[in-house]
Amino acid sequence: MSALIDAAPTETPPTDTPHRRARGAWLRERGMGATVLVAGISTAFGVLLLSATGYIGAWLTSDPYLGGGEMVTVVVALLSVLLVGVAVYVAAIVTANTFATIVAGRTRQIALMRLIGASARSQRREVARQGLVVGAIGAAAGLVAGVAAGAGLLWAADAALDISTGYRVLQPVLLIPAVIVALTTWAGAWTGSRRVLSVTPLEAIAGANPRNRDEIAASRGRRVVAVGLAISGAALLALGVLAGLMSPIGVLIAFVGGILSFTALALGSVLLMPPLLRLTGRLFGRSATARLAAENALRYPERSSRMAIGVVMGVTLVVMFAVANESVKAVLTASSGGQPPTEMNSIMDTFAAIMMGLVAVSAVIAGVGLVNLLTIGVVQRRRELGLLRALGLTAPQVRRVVLLEAAHVTITALAFGLLLGIVYGWIAAQSLLGSVTVPPAWSSPTLVAPAIPWISVLVVVVLTAALTLVAAVVPTRLATRVSAVEALAE
Amino acid sequence: MEISTTDLGLAARVQNLSKSYGRGETGVTALDGVTVGVRRGEFTAIMGPSGSGKSTLMHIMAGLDAPTGGRAWIGDTDITGLSDLELTILRRRRVGFVFQAFNLVPTLDAQANILLPFDLDGRTPSALERARIDGLVDSLGLRPRLRHRPHELSGGQQQRVAIARALATAPDLVFADEPTGNLDSRSSREVLALLAAASREHGQSIAMVTHDPVAASYADRVLFLGDGRVVADKPRQSAEQVSAFMLAAEVPA
Repeated sequence: MSALIDAAPTETPPTDTPHRRARGAWLRERGMGATVLVAGISTAFGVLLLSATGYIGAWLTSDPYLGGGEMVTVVVALLSVLLVGVAVYVAAIVTANTFATIVAGRTRQIALMRLIGASARSQRREVARQGLVVGAIGAAAGLVAGVAAGAGLLWAADAALDISTGYRVLQPVLLIPAVIVALTTWAGAWTGSRRVLSVTPLEAIAGANPRNRDEIAASRGRRVVAVGLAISGAALLALGVLAGLMSPIGVLIAFVGGILSFTALALGSVLLMPPLLRLTGRLFGRSATARLAAENALRYPERSSRMAIGVVMGVTLVVMFAVANESVKAVLTASSGGQPPTEMNSIMDTFAAIMMGLVAVSAVIAGVGLVNLLTIGVVQRRRELGLLRALGLTAPQVRRVVLLEAAHVTITALAFGLLLGIVYGWIAAQSLLGSVTVPPAWSSPTLVAPAIPWISVLVVVVLTAALTLVAAVVPTRLATRVSAVEALAE
Repeated sequence: MEISTTDLGLAARVQNLSKSYGRGETGVTALDGVTVGVRRGEFTAIMGPSGSGKSTLMHIMAGLDAPTGGRAWIGDTDITGLSDLELTILRRRRVGFVFQAFNLVPTLDAQANILLPFDLDGRTPSALERARIDGLVDSLGLRPRLRHRPHELSGGQQQRVAIARALATAPDLVFADEPTGNLDSRSSREVLALLAAASREHGQSIAMVTHDPVAASYADRVLFLGDGRVVADKPRQSAEQVSAFMLAAEVPA
C-alpha cells in the first residue's frame, strides 16, 4: 500500500508533455502503484493456487493408499481456476477504474496533445500501453513472490505431512497466470480509458470548465447481455433447487446458474449499484457532511458501481461458503438423528474456512481499488475542497466527509453482498441436499432452512468496517492538508 | 482602552500587516506594512496590477491565510491569533465569498449551494433568514433555477448563486475575488450592479479584488495597491479615472 502513498501528485503542469518528460515518469503517477499492486496480488495468488493444485495432485497420485485421487485433483483444479478467475476479474475491474480516474486527471494534458495534433485513438492506445507495462511489472513481481511463497508453503506441507512428493515448484505452467494478468491489466486500462476519446482540444485552454459528472455509459448491448444472463442464471438456479429435491445432481445445475447470474451482476453493476448507493445515501441523514459524501459517491456512478461490485463479489462469495457450510451441517446433523457428526463437521469447517480465505483475496484486491478510488477522488477534488474550506468546512468535517464516502460504498456493498451470499449459499445447500431424508418424517423432499453462521457474518462485517477505516486513511490525510488559498489559486 | 473596529465604523481592518514568502534572496514580500479598513455598508474595490499583493491582502482579511506580521480584525474579533478551527467557523458565520470561478459545489443544486453556510454550521435558517434568502433568490432571478446543478447554469447564473450564498448569512463582510473575471460583459455588468445594490440597499459591506477598471467603477471607494503597499485611497471613480491612475502608476517615475 505504500506505493499509493509514495506516488507523486498528479498535478503535472500542462506543458509537461510525454516527449519532454523523463521516460517512465508516468510510472510514478498516482494510481500506477495500485495497479502494480493489484496485478502482483492476483498473479501471486494464481501462482500459489496452481502450485497447491499441482502439489495436491502429486501427493494423491504418489500415495497408493489414497483412493479417488483423480476426481479430487479435478475438483481442486476446477476450484482453483474459478477462484483465480474471480480474483483476476476483480483485479481487471479495479484496473479499469484506476485508469478511468487517471485519465480524468490527465484531461488537460490529453487535450493539449489533441490541440497539437495527436489523434484521440493514439492517445488512448498510449494509455492502454501504459496499462500493459504496469501489468507486466506487477505480474513479474507477483510471479517471483508467488513462486517464493509457494516454495515455502510446499516445503512446510512436506514437513507437516511427513512426505516427499518431489514436486518441483518451478513449472512453466506458472507463466500462465502472469501472462493472463498482464493481458487483463492491459484490457482493464483499455476499458477504463474510453473517456480519452471524448476529450476535446478545447479542454486544454485555461478556464474551460472541467467536467464534473460522467454520464452512465452502459451500452445497450451490454445491458441486453446482462439481463439475458440474469434471467437464464436465475432460471437455472431455480431449476437446480427443483432438481435437487430429487437428486444431489441439482447442485451442478445451480452451479452453472450461479456463474451466469454472477457474471450478469458484474456486467450490470452500472445499472444495479447506483439506485442501491442512492438508498444508502439517504440513511446518512441530511447534514451537510452526509450529503456531500453521498453525492461524491455518486459523482461518477460508473466508477463507484464498479468499485462497489468488487466488494460485493468478495462478500457474496465468503458469505455463500459460510451459509452453505452451515446449512449442510444442519441437515447432516438432523439426518443423523440430532447428533452432529463431529468428524464430518470438522472436515467441512476446514474446507469452508480455506475457501473463505481464498475468496477473501478478491475482497483484498477490491479493497486496494477502494483506497485508490477514494485517494484519486480527493486529489482531483482539490479545488472543491479548497472552496468548501473557505466557506467553512472544518478539518474534522473534511475527515467525516471522506470517511462517510468510504462507508457509503462499503455499507452498500456489504448489505448487498450479505443478501446475495445468503441466497446463493442456501441455493447451494438446498440443491445439494434437497433429496436427503431427515427425521422425523424420513421423507424427501427436504426443505433446507438457510442457516446463517453469525460468527462468520460478524467477521465479514468487522473486516468490512476495518477496510472502510483503512481506505479512508490516506485520502483523509490528503484532504485535510488542502489549504483553501492554494487550492483556489490553481 | 484600544479603539475598536466598530467604533471606527469599519467592518474589517488590518494594521501594519506584512506577508512574505521564503527568505533571503529568493524571499518575496507580498504585503509591506499595510494599514487599512473596510468601511461598514460600503462597496470597496481593491485594485492593483498582478503581484501587487491585493489577493494576499484579501486572503488575510478573510481569514484564509495568516500574516507574517501585524494584526487583522473582522468586526471586533482579532483574527490574527485564531486557530484553524476558529477561523473556519468564523468564516462560515461572518464572511461571505464570491470567487472568480469554481464557486459552487458541483454535486449540489443551486438551493443547496446557497444554504451551504447554514448546513456546514449544522443549523437551518431562522424565519428571518429564510425571508432574507427568499428575497435574495427573487431579486437575483434564481427562483426557476433552484433545482439546477452548477453545470446546468450559465456563468452569470453561477455567479448569481454565489452572490446569493455570500449574502445569505448577512455576513460582516463579503469578499469578492475577481467576481467578473470569467464573465461576458453583459453578465459582468449584472453581477456588479447586484453587488452595488446589496451594499446600497441592504448596507452590506463588500470588498472586491479586481484589476478591471470597469468593475472598480461600481464601487464606493477604490483602494490602489502596488508592491505590497496601499498607494492611493480614492472615493468613487469612473472607469476612465481608474484606468488613468493605473496607467500613470505603471510609468516609472
